[in-house]
Amino acid sequence: MEVQQQRQQQQQQVQTNVCSASICRNVISSVKLSCRLDLDFITRTAWNTEYKPERFRALIMRIREPRTTANIYQSGSLVCTGARSIDESHRAARRFARILQKLGFPVSFQNFKIHNMVVSCNTFPVVLEALNLVYHQHCSYEPELFPALFFKMVPGITAIVFVQGKLILSGAKSPAEVSEALQVIYPVLRRFMKH
Amino acid sequence: MTSLAGLSCPGCGSSNIVDDDLYSQAQLVCADCGFVVSEGVLADEPVRGLDISYSRTTAVTKRPCVNLIRGLERVKEISRILRLRGEVEDLALTYFKQAYEHESFIRVSLQRKEVLAGCCVLVSCRQLNWPITVGTVGCLLNADPTLVGGVYQEMLKVLNVEAPTVNITDVIEAHCQEYKISSSDVPEEFAEESKDLTKRAVALVELAADSWIVTGRRPLPIMMAAVYLAWQSLKPLKHRLSFSLDKFCQLAKVQKHKPAVTRITELKEALCKLGKEIPWVGESVTPGNVVQQVGDILEHRYALLRRALRTHEDAMQAECRSSSVNPPSEEMVSSQISERVAQTASSVEQLPLSNEGGKQAVEEHSQEFEPNWGKRVLFAPPCVSHAKRRRVEQPTPDVTGDEEISDSEIDSYIRSPREVREFSQTQKILASSSGGKSQ
Repeated sequence: MEVQQQRQQQQQQVQTNVCSASICRNVISSVKLSCRLDLDFITRTAWNTEYKPERFRALIMRIREPRTTANIYQSGSLVCTGARSIDESHRAARRFARILQKLGFPVSFQNFKIHNMVVSCNTFPVVLEALNLVYHQHCSYEPELFPALFFKMVPGITAIVFVQGKLILSGAKSPAEVSEALQVIYPVLRRFMKH
Repeated sequence: MTSLAGLSCPGCGSSNIVDDDLYSQAQLVCADCGFVVSEGVLADEPVRGLDISYSRTTAVTKRPCVNLIRGLERVKEISRILRLRGEVEDLALTYFKQAYEHESFIRVSLQRKEVLAGCCVLVSCRQLNWPITVGTVGCLLNADPTLVGGVYQEMLKVLNVEAPTVNITDVIEAHCQEYKISSSDVPEEFAEESKDLTKRAVALVELAADSWIVTGRRPLPIMMAAVYLAWQSLKPLKHRLSFSLDKFCQLAKVQKHKPAVTRITELKEALCKLGKEIPWVGESVTPGNVVQQVGDILEHRYALLRRALRTHEDAMQAECRSSSVNPPSEEMVSSQISERVAQTASSVEQLPLSNEGGKQAVEEHSQEFEPNWGKRVLFAPPCVSHAKRRRVEQPTPDVTGDEEISDSEIDSYIRSPREVREFSQTQKILASSSGGKSQ
């Protein structure tokens, strides 16, 4: 009995460590700059911009450090993608806002919000067919179209599970959500680990 | 008849115009002289048709859309080609009617509507246990499998239905029928009965599924590899063994799939692992000569698997014992350490381990996930056994998000006034030259 309890505690510890060993690959955030922007003027006066209104209504601006991309809208909304952590995303958004401020726009940095985090971690080889069979209502597995299984057990979060055990979580808005999702998903995957 | 104010008769000028709807066509007629005023109205009708689109008119309820009828016919055609049961066809027709009328599919291109017909057949086959692949549907529609996949996923969402994924062992029987290698199609030395070929191929696919070759992979190359090896192994004579996959596909009149070559290699490796355990085979079993042993391997598969697992376990234990007796060389230790450092350096944070039990669990866990895990077990997914060398992850910089931003950094992103002028001039030149070219 004691041995069983110890084993359960060890498994929980392993689970926690798996959660802590996840790597954030992309953070998507937005901020409101609270002023209207002249996108044509920005294209003329700033480097590293792309603006083709006939294709896409926003201006695309890139900076080198941190290596990120921003979609800037005429209304003053800015969407920042490509950062590898929340703090890096915040840092990048501030840089974009500062560039626009230097161009002469009266920007202010309001409502910085994280919309999505893409996190990956490595687990163990998983028998995807068995997982698809047992949790069919949460899974989408089409090997003819894509080699991984899409696992949507946690509301709002999609887990992409590859056969070698690589897990990609998308849809979380905070590291806490990522952790909670892994706490739910990891024991499920463990059942389908082939020994 | 109703009288209409405001109109005057072109014939006599009277304002006594009435709407005469006694006959099949309602007309505006002058009650005094009988002049038919509404003849001119017909000429004023729009030539190109109504301003309102068909889907918003009441004609929709009176007569079904032509494309809906065409789509339903297409569903029936596909069902007939595949020789589906009546209930499968009926279900597919029901799904098509439901999906067609949804806003996601009502105003899409004709090609997409045709693909929708195929997808409805696909989902009803899956739900009623009729094995069929996405590739088959794509072939019938002459459409890109990616497009078929996209429409299929959208259709599942729209209809809110589920469909089980097809099992490869169910599909292989139908797949084997495509190969024209019966005695009526090819010379006797190459001919094989469909029944025998299917049985052997199914056994090979089951072995592949147990050896991690099937999971996550497209089924078609695996089935092709299984059929090819089955054909070779049923009569493993020199003229068959010398046939490459290319030649076999030409003989059987099927299109070769390039990944099948890799699957053949993987299957042969798995067969070799079991073939080595056959007690009556004197020579060593290699991918070059394993085809001759396929029959015996498949017949005694489970016993050979047990032996192979035991042999592998003994070999691992012997390795562990020898490594504990002889401490690992410096090179090995440093390579192992660098592997672990590469793994752990990419972590976002590490929790402190307070107890021995926790440490042991993490060691066990990290042993499972070591880069060379695939070599420590008998069967592992090929992507684990032959893992690609990934570049070393750059550690995430330690930032707070509120650091100072230097002016020089921001200025590097802003053009100087001269650069702005030059850029504007260049844009004007480019715009005018492209405008001249288009003229």
